[in-house]
Amino acid sequence: MEDFTCPRCKTSKFQNPSLKMMVNVCGHGLCESCVDLLFLKGSGSCPECRIPLRRNNFRIQLFEDAAVEKEVDIRKRVLRDYNKKEEDFNSLAEYNDYLEEVETIIYNLTNNIDIVNTNKRIEQYKRDNREQIMKSKGKLGREEYELEELLEYEKQQQELRKQEIFIEESEIKKKKIREKEALIDELMFSSENAKNIVETFAQQVKEAKEEEAKAAPVKKTHFSSGIQFGRNSQTSFLPVPIEDGPLFIFKPLSVQTDGPKLPTEDEIVDKGYTNHVRTENEQERAGGFKSNIACMRALQDAFSGLYHVKKAFVH
Amino acid sequence: MFSTSTQCKHWMFNSEEELNKLRENANMKHIQTYGRHINEASRYDFFLTAEEEKIMVKRYEIRLRDFCKRFQPPMTRCVIGTAFHYFKRFYIHNSVMNHHPKEIMVTCIYLACKVEEFNVSIQQFVANLKGDREKATDIILNNELLLMEQLNFHLSVHNPFRPVEGLLIDIKTRCTLNDPERLRPGTEHFLERALLTDVVLLYSPSQVALAAVLHAASKLQENLDSYVTDTLFGVEGRGKLDELIEAVRAIRSMVKMVDATADRNQQKLLDKKLEKCRNPENNPDSEIYKKRMQALLDEDDDLYQTISSRADSMNNSTLNMSVCASPEVA
Repeated sequence: MEDFTCPRCKTSKFQNPSLKMMVNVCGHGLCESCVDLLFLKGSGSCPECRIPLRRNNFRIQLFEDAAVEKEVDIRKRVLRDYNKKEEDFNSLAEYNDYLEEVETIIYNLTNNIDIVNTNKRIEQYKRDNREQIMKSKGKLGREEYELEELLEYEKQQQELRKQEIFIEESEIKKKKIREKEALIDELMFSSENAKNIVETFAQQVKEAKEEEAKAAPVKKTHFSSGIQFGRNSQTSFLPVPIEDGPLFIFKPLSVQTDGPKLPTEDEIVDKGYTNHVRTENEQERAGGFKSNIACMRALQDAFSGLYHVKKAFVH
Repeated sequence: MFSTSTQCKHWMFNSEEELNKLRENANMKHIQTYGRHINEASRYDFFLTAEEEKIMVKRYEIRLRDFCKRFQPPMTRCVIGTAFHYFKRFYIHNSVMNHHPKEIMVTCIYLACKVEEFNVSIQQFVANLKGDREKATDIILNNELLLMEQLNFHLSVHNPFRPVEGLLIDIKTRCTLNDPERLRPGTEHFLERALLTDVVLLYSPSQVALAAVLHAASKLQENLDSYVTDTLFGVEGRGKLDELIEAVRAIRSMVKMVDATADRNQQKLLDKKLEKCRNPENNPDSEIYKKRMQALLDEDDDLYQTISSRADSMNNSTLNMSVCASPEVA
């Protein structure tokens, strides 16, 4: 990229190290400042091939060869519509034919061979396969998402495994030291034959190892019928998004009655207000309507607004 | 709760003068819109005055009450109260000449039935009316939205009936009055008369209810004054007591003034005058009204047609665009 020069202003990377080459659909390069200058109005024509271009289609050139750049661009565009998968075909031969067709189209477009007919072919394909294209697009999005999740999950698992291994190793080291100390203690203070003691310890270590080997059986993730179970099988369900909003803060309801103070719910029963209301029948009680509610409502209506005062009359 | 209701916020007025002023404004506005060709002096020979409009409204309030009483299946009091509220509210800002009260009256009752959960179908409803029921159905359903719009969609109404129940419960609990149930007939009679006045637009439902109970008590030579001053208002409400006493007195005097009988001759004259000066655009018997309705229907059809044709052309243009976008043309 070092010997790059802008075809219009002839600025090179050497003269201006921060030079950025941009490229549009036609594949001809231009430096950033020339783009700014020529496409002030948002659209204009390519200084080399006079093709009308739009400014927001310019992007930074990644490859040295502008033709590659052009091909990448075209490929991206074509594959957006030609998005069939191998599963969509009956046989491998058909799939291969399809791939070949795609490659031909891309090649034709990049090398300006029979552009009119090729474009017609794309249009035709688009029209014929509209539904298929939409479906595949949706599928693609979902698959990418699932893949991402899988990767994330694997990363977590790896992290976990690393930690486990570390803990295990340190545990084993400690155990060995402890065993050695025990052996030496025994040898020092026991009255038994030293050879016997060493043998029994060796036996114990061996047994412990065997047990460990038994204790770690392989976790099954498949039934014999091939159906997955366990955590892996859940990957097809997306987790329910949980919104983290501010926590709900309870505020007791304050009632402005604009009237005398109401008796409380306890007072309604204690002071005998409910003696003067019809008691609720069984059906009403099932619905949760007890006589004190009706009583409370009547009292509330009677008291609220008793202090009502007319506003000053505005003429 | 009344204190937080739209009724308290938007439909409580300060005085009868304010109400009369608003009604006069509605009357003036109507005359200015439709009577510009008649000179000042002879305007009221043709149009109704605000005072005459008020008499008309009062008369139709009585008819509203009678209609509700005769209604089958029998209505609850809340429906009647709510219908009264709607009717009163409507003619604060509207002229009788623009919308005939007999049409608005039935629409108010029909809407009140719905709002107060008194379930009658429109067929059941018009079965209570005399005359052409088909036409009545059309009128009610056409006016329903207009009515709601004029009420600003403030549909829930606080009537004084439940407050009366609350007060009676409170009196039974906290007052030594002998058999408070005796107060009931007097209270109901008072409230019925109160609906024919403007008190429901000036005082809160609980104040009206209290006035009704006190009135009924005084009719029975009982005295509830100590209950109101000591028990109901108590120490914390002492400052508000004067205002309430004044309100109760005003309510009672306004209700006392109700004159339920009307002068027959005057009624006939007013009816004739209204028939001449009512706005033909809102008169379902007039040619203009029929034309307007037809025009509205046609407009709907036209609208539908333009929409569908526009959709068609859009479809076509998208097809064209896809052809244009193909490099063959480019």
